[in-house]
Amino acid sequence: MRLRLIKKFFFPRLSLTIVLLILTLIIAFLAGKEFLVQRQSEPIFPSSGLSYHKKLSDYFPALRNTWGDTDVYIFEGKEPGGCILITGGTHPNEPAGFLTAVILIENIFVDKGKVVIIPRANASAFTHSDPQEGSPQRFFISTAKGKRFFRLGSRLTNPIHQWPDPAIYINPSGQKLSGSEVRNLNRCYPGRPDGLLTEKIAFAIMEVIRQEKIDLGIDVHESAPEYPVINALVFHENSSELAALVAINMESFGLKLRLEASPPNLRGLSHREWGDAAGILAVLIETPNASHGRLKGKPSPDLIVEGIDKFYPRASRSGRLFVDYPETGIPLKDRVGRHLASIISLVESFNELYPSKKIKINNIPDPNEVALKGLGFFLHSPS
Amino acid sequence: MEIKKTITSSLMFFLFYLFAASSPDLPKFSQPALITSAGQNAEVQMVAVLAKRAGIDHILNKMATGQDLEGYKSLLLVLGASLKGLGAAGIDINKELERVKSLIEFSRQKDIPILCLHLGGEERRGAQSDQFIKACLPAAKMVIVVKSGNKDGLFTRMCQDLGIPLVEVEKISDALEPLKNSFSK
Repeated sequence: MRLRLIKKFFFPRLSLTIVLLILTLIIAFLAGKEFLVQRQSEPIFPSSGLSYHKKLSDYFPALRNTWGDTDVYIFEGKEPGGCILITGGTHPNEPAGFLTAVILIENIFVDKGKVVIIPRANASAFTHSDPQEGSPQRFFISTAKGKRFFRLGSRLTNPIHQWPDPAIYINPSGQKLSGSEVRNLNRCYPGRPDGLLTEKIAFAIMEVIRQEKIDLGIDVHESAPEYPVINALVFHENSSELAALVAINMESFGLKLRLEASPPNLRGLSHREWGDAAGILAVLIETPNASHGRLKGKPSPDLIVEGIDKFYPRASRSGRLFVDYPETGIPLKDRVGRHLASIISLVESFNELYPSKKIKINNIPDPNEVALKGLGFFLHSPS
Repeated sequence: MEIKKTITSSLMFFLFYLFAASSPDLPKFSQPALITSAGQNAEVQMVAVLAKRAGIDHILNKMATGQDLEGYKSLLLVLGASLKGLGAAGIDINKELERVKSLIEFSRQKDIPILCLHLGGEERRGAQSDQFIKACLPAAKMVIVVKSGNKDGLFTRMCQDLGIPLVEVEKISDALEPLKNSFSK
């Protein structure tokens, strides 16, 4: 009797439970696999002009074997000259910053002076995306021999690598910020050698500046089209003449550059602390990126690459944006092209102001050519 | 006879050069010049670069007051409000307006001519920038503006009403020539 009851009620439920359990495990396995894909780093193929390939931990060993360690590419000319630092990927949800650094690494040769490039300044932030945003993990660019993938990460360090956030964050420069900013690399300068992971990354980048004797630091970013600092160059007051020259030189590319002074009371940012703590010329450049704006429609790899969005042109027509946003979008190739034009203008202007520290970089892709031929033309094939 | 001929042709050339180099309609300014912004915009730095390229003896003082004008023969006011710039200077828009108005008053008392420049284009317009434009233009002897900043014709209307010469340029670098000419002797 009891056996019959068990057979009747328990076995069907047990088998259902087992089926559900197996299904759950399959879903968890697939989701986990997808989750771990984000940790797979995209390959970068440096040009033959590369002099050294280092790690950030070479400058600050405490970062070794942590998720904060990252690649540092150094191009050194035969002749001495000035030294430039270019950082991309401070915010991995701003893809033009990262792609500009990659394009430079894969193309340039330096004849005079030195160029130091850190394409994934916050490597940890590349390993996850912002929750509840529906952001794609990757986007793709076609090259001559196949597609290359690039990750779209988050603005902040992965909470798996740095947790928990405090309620209020007091950064190394003493500024009070909301708790999550403790994982924002561009609020943690000049860093703390004994601090949290993001502060250690910031400190390590300051060490690169000190040890490589950097003269000019360029932090490459993007901003949402509704943000006022757009198509802009933010400059430390020690770089005001340089910034003015850049804006004038940018006109030769048919591009208008908005200049914004770095407020001295806004602490922890590259354009403030690189100048204050290391005494170098410090600038930050921005292009409009719909994929991390608040007004965007459906997030997708196409939105990142093509920049075509349903709502931004409407917002633009209503005068809600600080940039004209056409129906045809603002594609990644144009945003990278604008950054390249800014970097070319920065180097030209630096050379004009500091002729004894001239820097000569060859083979920077021409911004108009990038717009015409696309990014893939200037990227190495995937294998 | 030969010397006389040379002197005459040199004089003719000099007179022709003077005629060609100077635009009779545009007022002339003297050096040294003090450059400051009206609204703490970043374009003030570009005007300093243009002045350097034009060979104008100048000083840039973002927070210049009446006393700082002592010893200068021209005042270049670069128009347009920047909230970031105001923040960087640690002042609000009312304080900045006060500073600019006192500077204009001082230059009026000392008879120092004012050249106004608006180089920020359309983006450097709007209610806050327009406050500075309206406060400064009546005191200007000449105005140079990047065309896109005059899309609504505000500069054209005001300059016509006030009888001030207005020079419109396509882009910032084009402001070099009128600036150079207005300081040429």
